[in-house]
Amino acid sequence: MNKVITIHLNGVAFQLEEGGFDALRAYLDTAARRLGGNPDKDEILADIEQAIADKFRSLLGASKTVIITKEATDIIESMGPVDDSSGSPEDARPSAGPTAASAQPGSAAAPGAVPNAPKRLYKIREGSKIGGVCNGIAAYLNADVTIVRIAFALFGFVYGSGILIYLLLMFVLPEASTPEEMDEAHGTPSATAQEFIRRAREGYYEGMKSFGDRRAHREWRRKFKRDMRNWGREMQRDVRTNWGRQWHWNWPGSHPPGAYPPPPPAYHTHGFINLLLSLISIFFVIAIISFVTTGGILGVYFPGMPIWLGILLIIAVVKIVKWPLRAMRGSYYYGDSWHCWNPFGFIWHALMWVFLVYAVIWLFGGHVAGMHEIGQHLPHKIHSAAESIRDWWNSL
Amino acid sequence: MIINEKFSAIRKGLLEFLVLKIVSGDKVYVADIMGQLSGTEFATQEGTLYPLLSKMRREELVDYEWKESEAGPPRKYYKLTAKGQEQLKETDDYWQKISETVKSLGRNPAS
Repeated sequence: MNKVITIHLNGVAFQLEEGGFDALRAYLDTAARRLGGNPDKDEILADIEQAIADKFRSLLGASKTVIITKEATDIIESMGPVDDSSGSPEDARPSAGPTAASAQPGSAAAPGAVPNAPKRLYKIREGSKIGGVCNGIAAYLNADVTIVRIAFALFGFVYGSGILIYLLLMFVLPEASTPEEMDEAHGTPSATAQEFIRRAREGYYEGMKSFGDRRAHREWRRKFKRDMRNWGREMQRDVRTNWGRQWHWNWPGSHPPGAYPPPPPAYHTHGFINLLLSLISIFFVIAIISFVTTGGILGVYFPGMPIWLGILLIIAVVKIVKWPLRAMRGSYYYGDSWHCWNPFGFIWHALMWVFLVYAVIWLFGGHVAGMHEIGQHLPHKIHSAAESIRDWWNSL
Repeated sequence: MIINEKFSAIRKGLLEFLVLKIVSGDKVYVADIMGQLSGTEFATQEGTLYPLLSKMRREELVDYEWKESEAGPPRKYYKLTAKGQEQLKETDDYWQKISETVKSLGRNPAS
């Protein structure tokens, strides 16, 4: 007992076993595709359908009303592959029976490999420590950003090469500021027009498989439309949840009301943090002046410490103190882990600063001949400048 | 069979000529054409013949008319056009020349 499918060929109904129906559909699909560019495509297909219908009819009689699979495949084989080159005898090409014909739609349905999402190296500001270079590289390599930072720091020890490369990349790399650029930086095939087109095309090929069977075709069209609609919604949601923050970060005034968390209820706390940060900044200026003029801060003296190293250490200490406060302020706004205080972040930040400034001084002092002189005399000059400032301070 | 592969190119080139010849005899429909070719080296399937006939019709070598058949739907009966006649004659002449050339050159393997 086998399932029977009723079809019509040029207006005459026939009953086929399911296997025969599949073979016939595959054959006609292949024929339609091979005749793709032929101006008489429809006519030729109608002729072929007619020829098949004639053959079917010759098999049927009063006591036989169904065409079994074997008969259908035999007839298809006798038709031979539809060949749009100026016409070749049957053995011009290896006999492509129904097996070859049915294999072909499958290969056409997979439109090559899924194209890789384009990937580019960007600077990523969000969650960055200095310029976002490490962040961008981590996104590009799909690696943990901490590993990239450690690698850069280690290379910093090798004649400062890591720092040099970092500076270079900071200047050269573009910054990822739009969602599309962020997608490119991460190489994620998400909400891009290309992906949309790719999916549409895939769906189209699926639909081509049901060519010749109106009911299947109609069903495919309904499903295809629904899929595309759903996917569009999904894409929008994706953009809102993932990149809303990014948009907000870059264009604080651009977000629609209600789309993002309202200002924190503890707004005064936020104000308090701001006050603290300003106080630290003032302290920073005072400390620098104090160190340069008196050689000490708040009555604590550091004998023998070069003045440039002292300045660097002050910068580092201030950065370390400021970091958690900044992070707290950020977390009020964005209420997520991204901007929360990262226990290692500020250490990295400070270390990077020290490395960076040290390397610049080292490179200038050690490698550029003219700079060597200046480098050697610079501390002395700073000292003498500091001396004159101190004299001026004392004379007040 | 490798030699058969080589012949297939010859057959392919000659198929249009043979179809012209068959159509020139009488008004025929596709099953007739296939029937006449079936016993020969040029046995052809519908999958090849329909595209070829449609191409020949586009080139105005043949034309068809619908005719009622005693059983089933009307069929397309093909006939030569004036242009088709002309091309048939040219091809026929050319074919005679070719076969004479083939005979006259070199040693005849049959003798």
